[in-house]
Parts: sequence; structure tokens; C-alpha cells
Amino acid sequence: MIEASVKRRLGAFNLSADFADGGFVCLTGKNGSGKTCFLKAIAGQLPIDQGYVKVGGRDITRLPVEKRGVVLVNPGSSIPHLAVDAHLRWGAGLRRIDVDERRLSKVKDELGIDFGGRVRVLSLGMRERVSLATALLASPRAILVDEAFSNIHDRSIFIAAYRRLASTAGIDVIFATQEETDASLADHLYVITDGKLERRL
Amino acid sequence: MNWLRAISIAALVLLLIPIVVLLYYGLGPFRNPAGYSVAVFRSIELSLFSSAVAVAVDILLFTPLAYYLARGKDRLAESLVDIPISVPHPIIGVALLILDSPITPSGKFLLGLHINFYNTILGLVTALVIMSAPIYVKAMQPYFESKDAAAEDYAMGLGAGRLRTLYSVVLPDSFDGLTSASLISMSRALSEFGSISIIAFYVLQYPFYGVSSASVTIFELYNGAMAGGLYAAVTASAAMILVALPIALAGHFVRRRGRRT
Repeated sequence: MIEASVKRRLGAFNLSADFADGGFVCLTGKNGSGKTCFLKAIAGQLPIDQGYVKVGGRDITRLPVEKRGVVLVNPGSSIPHLAVDAHLRWGAGLRRIDVDERRLSKVKDELGIDFGGRVRVLSLGMRERVSLATALLASPRAILVDEAFSNIHDRSIFIAAYRRLASTAGIDVIFATQEETDASLADHLYVITDGKLERRL
Repeated sequence: MNWLRAISIAALVLLLIPIVVLLYYGLGPFRNPAGYSVAVFRSIELSLFSSAVAVAVDILLFTPLAYYLARGKDRLAESLVDIPISVPHPIIGVALLILDSPITPSGKFLLGLHINFYNTILGLVTALVIMSAPIYVKAMQPYFESKDAAAEDYAMGLGAGRLRTLYSVVLPDSFDGLTSASLISMSRALSEFGSISIIAFYVLQYPFYGVSSASVTIFELYNGAMAGGLYAAVTASAAMILVALPIALAGHFVRRRGRRT
């Protein structure tokens, strides 16, 4: 469950939302509506002037990025020099979570990661699969996905699998997208219109 | 555009003419055996050794600082980094001398720990670190700034602290930047004279007992403290340029290649 009310004087940015039901949440809005800023503020990558961010009832507003338990994944999110399997285990390793072969294989199978090699040489879509799977295996409290589903082929199948795996692991996911039709792939839909965030589903 | 090109070439010629003239006379009409004697080559060897050690220290200690400045936007720290190279270089030599002098408390403390800068390899390397580190930082900082921070933000979101992110995510992907900055700062260290002529005019330690750095040796040849005179100084300078130039050019070449890829 994520609850956030963030205000930035720069860019007159002021959004509040209570994703009280958690689950797999779709966040849409036009270009420049503030989706990315909102997600970055929750992840701690964008300082806020006023407001708060709570995850699972815990106030994380003043915590540094690495201590929030929130991973923001966007199309540039990957560690290029690592090989695919090392990448998948990397985040879990930081949190001292042991990822056994069975769990790794299951996640790879379900998310269509049937390739290896250095992440640097992979296509953008392949990198997105690896980055999203890495975030999942690290078992954070929440994963924020900023357009990182956009270059993946068989997108709806991938999102359905990701939703299933995140739900099993008890991880809340908020994914930002341009397409309101993506709401069909989510538990809830939130839309940013004219600087206001409303729940539609 | 042609005028711009012409002015740029003229400016370059202005910069390079003294070097070209020196190479011509040093390797040609003024060539003097004292300029490529064993003593001169030993001094070049000491310069290469001490500069390489200084650059290794730069990499270890100042890469985190360059990264901090690139991501932290600490304007005060950014200004402070420039201080050693914005003052006349002999001042750094005098400062090190006082820092480690038996008549000052800091010197008594350091000497008590057997840390002696005066005419030692440690003193030479310390001076070279202080003079080359700002150049290293100023080369690495824009390199880090030019890198997309998305991978770093992602790694930190996964739980990596800033330092871990630097060593595990940023540096393994920064070979060209590191190599280029190291070579540029090494060529800076090789050219240092002002500070080392005070703190380590010569070294009184094995394996360089009685050897001076190349820049000091050239000065000694020039002023007659070493046998050879002006012609030998010109020849030794040309020899030093032949050693230092490829290092400086390699640094810039690697940086340009890094920008293209």
C-alpha cells in the first residue's frame, strides 16, 4: 500500500494519492501530466518541498533512495556490464535474499527470459525484461514501472505474468503508461488530469 | 567557417611552435650526449615511476570525489578542488615542507610516525598527487556527469548505497573515462616542477638514491649544476617530450573514442 502527497514548488507540481488497495496499479495521464515526477518522488529520486510518502504505513519521506524498499524501473534501468543471470540475482544479493535455481528458472520462464549474455548487448525490450525481473527477485515493498513495459513484445502476456508473480510475492506495482486501455491489465486505474490524480477503477 | 579554422590553426601553431623547435634542436643541431646520459634516463625513470604511483593514488582516492561532485552538486567542494593548481606551484612544495617540518606540531607528529616528505619518494609522490589530482577530478567529473543516471538510480532503488553504486555499477562501465583521466593526470604529474623542486629536489632512497625528477634534472643541466649546459638541457627536454607526449596524446585519444562510442 502506497500513500503519497507530494508538492514541488518548481514546476508547480502537487499530487496526492492513496493506493490503499495496493496490487497492480495502472497510472495514466497525458505527456507532461506528472506521472514520471510522481513516481520519482515516491522512489526518492526527486526531492519534494512538502508532503509525505508512506509505504505499508511506514513514512519513508526522508529516507534515502536505497533504504526505501521501492524500485523505480524505466527503460534505462539496467546494469550493462553484468551477464543476465548475475543481473537477475544482483538486487536480491544486496538484500541478502537467496535466489535458488528453481525460483530463478520460474521467473525467467514466466517472463520470457530465454537468452543470456551481457545486458549491454541486449535489445531494449530484452533489457526491460531483465530489469523488471531483477526488481521482482529483489522483493522490494513496491515496484514503480515508468514506461518500462513499452518495448516488450507480447506486452499484455508479459504484464499478466508480471502481475501474477508480483501478486504471489506480495509486491505492489504501479506502472505508468500513456494508454488508458492498459487499465484492463491492472487491478486499479488512476488518471492524472489537470494536475489532479483520480481513481477511476 | 574557414576563418574559424584558420584562427584555430594559428592558435595551435602558437602553442606548438616552442615544442617543435625544441624537438628539432634537441634531436638535431644541439644534440649533446649529456642530454641522454644514464643520469637523465634515471631521472625520466623516476618521473615515470612517481607519476604512475601518483595516478594510482588519484584513482583510488579521487574517483569517489569526482563522482560526488558529479552527482552531489556541491559547489563549495568543487571550488576547493581547484586550489592546489590555482596557486603558484612552489607554494605546495613549501606547504608540504612546513607540514612535515620538525619545528611544527604536525611535522613532529608525522615524523613520529616515520612519515618524511623531504627528499623522499613519499614526498615526491605526495606533491605529484596534490598537483595531478585536481586535473584527474576535472577530467572524471564531466565524464560521470555525461553518463545517464538511470542505471545508478535503479541500483540504489534495489538497495545499493552511493559508494557501492560507484564501484559496482558506474566504474565497471567507465574504462574509457578512467583511462583517459589517468593518462591526462599522469602527463600533468610528469610535467610538474615547482612543488617537487622544493620538497624532493632529489630522492635519497633506494632504488633512486640521488636521482632527481626529469624536470629538475633539465633545470640542473640548464643552470650548470649538472655538467652539460644549455645544449644538454635541450636534448634532455626533447627526450622527455618523446616520453610524455604519447601519454598525453593517448589520454585525449581514449577520451575522444569514448565520446564516439
